[in-house]
Amino acid sequence: MTNSISEIRDARVIFVIGSNTTEQHPMIGMHMLEAKDRGATLIVADPRRTQIAQFSHLHLRHKSGTDVALLNAIMNVIITEWLVDLSFIRQRTELIGYDLPPGEEYVDLSFIRQRTENFDDFEKRILPYTPEVAERITSVPAEDIRKAARLYASEKRSMLFYAMGITQHITGVDNVRACANLVMLTAHIGQPMTGLNPLRGQNNVQGACDMGALPDVYSGYQKVADPAARRKFELAWSRPLPDKPGITLTEMVDAILSGKIRAMYIMGENPLIADPDMTHVKKAFAKLDFLAVQDIFPTDTTEYAHVILPASSFAEKYGTFTNTERRVQKIRRAVPPPGEAKPDYEIICNLSKLMGYPMEYREAHEIMEEISILTPAYGGILHHRLNANYGLQWPCPNIDHPGTTYLHQKKFSRGMGVFIPVEFIPPSEPTDSEYPFILTTGRSYFHYHTGTMCRRTAALEREDPECLVEINPVDAGRLGLRSNERVRIRTRRGSIEVKAFVTDTVPEGIIFIPFHFREAAVNLLTINAVDPNAKIPEFKVCAAAVEPLKRKAGVIQESRGVISTA
Amino acid sequence: MIESNRITTYILHNKNHLSFWLRRLKTSHQIIAPVRDISGDIVLTGIRHMHEIALDGPALMPSPKEFLLPQMEQLFHYSDDGVEETFNKQPRIIFGIRSCDLSAIRILDIFYLENNKDAYYESRRTNTVMISIACNQPDPTCFCFGLSTGPFLRSGFDLQLTDLGNRFIVEAGTETGMALVREFLHIFTDPRPEDIEDLNEVRLASQSRFEKRVNLEQVHRGILAGEVSDTFWDSVAARCFECGGCVYNCPVCTCFNVIDQHFSPDSGKRIRIWDACMFKGFTRMAGDVVPAAKKIQRTKRWFHHKLVHWPTQFGTFGCVGCGRCAISCPGRIDMASVALRTKGTEHSEEKW
Repeated sequence: MTNSISEIRDARVIFVIGSNTTEQHPMIGMHMLEAKDRGATLIVADPRRTQIAQFSHLHLRHKSGTDVALLNAIMNVIITEWLVDLSFIRQRTELIGYDLPPGEEYVDLSFIRQRTENFDDFEKRILPYTPEVAERITSVPAEDIRKAARLYASEKRSMLFYAMGITQHITGVDNVRACANLVMLTAHIGQPMTGLNPLRGQNNVQGACDMGALPDVYSGYQKVADPAARRKFELAWSRPLPDKPGITLTEMVDAILSGKIRAMYIMGENPLIADPDMTHVKKAFAKLDFLAVQDIFPTDTTEYAHVILPASSFAEKYGTFTNTERRVQKIRRAVPPPGEAKPDYEIICNLSKLMGYPMEYREAHEIMEEISILTPAYGGILHHRLNANYGLQWPCPNIDHPGTTYLHQKKFSRGMGVFIPVEFIPPSEPTDSEYPFILTTGRSYFHYHTGTMCRRTAALEREDPECLVEINPVDAGRLGLRSNERVRIRTRRGSIEVKAFVTDTVPEGIIFIPFHFREAAVNLLTINAVDPNAKIPEFKVCAAAVEPLKRKAGVIQESRGVISTA
Repeated sequence: MIESNRITTYILHNKNHLSFWLRRLKTSHQIIAPVRDISGDIVLTGIRHMHEIALDGPALMPSPKEFLLPQMEQLFHYSDDGVEETFNKQPRIIFGIRSCDLSAIRILDIFYLENNKDAYYESRRTNTVMISIACNQPDPTCFCFGLSTGPFLRSGFDLQLTDLGNRFIVEAGTETGMALVREFLHIFTDPRPEDIEDLNEVRLASQSRFEKRVNLEQVHRGILAGEVSDTFWDSVAARCFECGGCVYNCPVCTCFNVIDQHFSPDSGKRIRIWDACMFKGFTRMAGDVVPAAKKIQRTKRWFHHKLVHWPTQFGTFGCVGCGRCAISCPGRIDMASVALRTKGTEHSEEKW
């Protein structure tokens, strides 16, 4: 997030796209609800009518995979209706509250001129995306697109939120670029109660990315390919380092099959259930010469492991987590790890020593020290500074710095922000007569991801014991399907049997299946198509067929789901 | 605990003597008191040293009921040799709880000890003495005053302390409470008229500091008169996050689930864990029928249970005004907020 969670309640417009906020980020959903109670306008863009969509003033139910068309059309309205200038007029009377440098008159237009590049080319490329064109692509009424644009642009304190709903597409990066274009166009960035705010999906994925658990960067997003950065780390770690980026998770699976990768070391991830096209993944993992898995419980991935390294959970170790608002917070050991389980850093250090590179850290805070030396944004973050006030938000470059609540106040990371125009590209697998439904996957409320922890918890299992497919009443009626009846969902990759849940949460033509249930693993069905830049799989769209399974009288139903391949 | 109608009042003149008193009591009881942990939160936990006690914090989360009805409690262990029940008989003193929480425990006593006695609860309860502290400064979320469950009680306590600044007033309401004082009469003195004057002044001041004035009696009557519509409850339910926070933190909520954990085919244990009627699965039956599938059924029922069913069945509201639901609810549909809206003091329209 460029801004902070505490600013949400004071926002005047909250625009949420691709996030089921109250169910997946309940505390942030709570703040959004509070903002709405205090008079803020809530706009939600999501094909599904989620709880946050029910609270919204305006719900844009665009077709899965049409986010670029929707966002471009919104920007089209903002440009053609001169909302860019309109908001400056209101802005002038509210100048006092926003700490703008003196002499700044036309914030929006001057924002674009002073802080961004490539606006003219961008403007040209936006003009074809009229609301009417977008209505044909997204099925959102043109008037609603205009409403959304006017609401978002004409208030100064507008915050934009997004999550996996727009990133898990082959156009995931384009979708985010469109959001970036939108916040720059309206100057809703670099001020409190504004910003581009992705809601990260794990408690420490932000931290993991910050530490460079990505193939092309060291910690702090310093690039592997940058010689100066590489030299710094080579000096610190006394070893030559590769000068080319590595490969991403989705590329690794293909690399196993092509023989390029023969061994893997996996920490805290369950690709067998979480990766798309499970048949493809199973084939790959069966081919590995060696697999080591570090996890807290046995999983479908540990089934393929030659060595399992027992790790410790969040309550069993010291360290920090960095959350979606860049806040670094300490965690402390509350209970000892069971048996031979160890904190992850201990396991890694023990392995490293055996491999000939001794790493000695007596305690977790010494690791933080090294992070602060090598990572400018974490420069002032040390464990003893995290005891009070719920930690620190990076960038925190030195020991006296109080942390940063919102980013890009004076300039962007690259200096000038650049408008990168994006074109609408349809999802990789269109529906057709054989596979007429869009299958979209995601999370349900009580479970988390592959269920390694939550499906071992009695209360959560009771709430959500089995996989259900959400299907719209009109579609269900056409198929003669009722809730609780079993149904086979089939795609070109495979098929699963699940129970139907007839609801108008999903629109006609779209079905939704959560990915938590290994006995009805929806990733047997999903497609291994990825975004060309980020390589993130298109979990949100593929083409599926729905076949009700009629029970024969006198036949005992098989329990739970039956997994089979196409 | 034998309740006596006579309250015996003492003065603890030197606040330092509190440490001495508790340290001596610790030789025969586990002392559970509010402690500030490393992240600044105040939790109720067994103390090792008296200086750990922190009495200046807000409502403790979760409530003290966790010592009488633990969140997870082993009921018995079974094996080829038979069934072995687990009763916790550890003598304990819970020090520094508030009047609302004490009132809540007295309500739990009605549920768990009258009619169908719960042996596990009874075993913990009979070995627990409570030294409560009257509130001089209610939190913004508190509304015990309208319910006669606080900020101080006139009876029903083992020992009730009131902080008069430089000294404590100590009132003993039961024989059990008296016993804790009797051994140490050298540190307690008789109250003087000015002590009682100061006590009354502190009490009046505390009563005047409540930010919320909630009249549950009025809501109760309104519900019975059919004045609270389903449209209203629907708008309340829409804001429910189904997190269970209200139930888990409520000191009066009593529901639990029972599950068996097997160690081997022949042995295992039966435990009970807190449960919440706010969850859909709470009423799930065989064949996957869920009577309370709609959120409104569960939300409405929780309020009705505390405001109508409890008074009808047990003669008291199922709420003590502790404000914990307000502290934990992400949708802000806690008891006080809902009660105030049914009265129409906040908004005149029916929906939220």
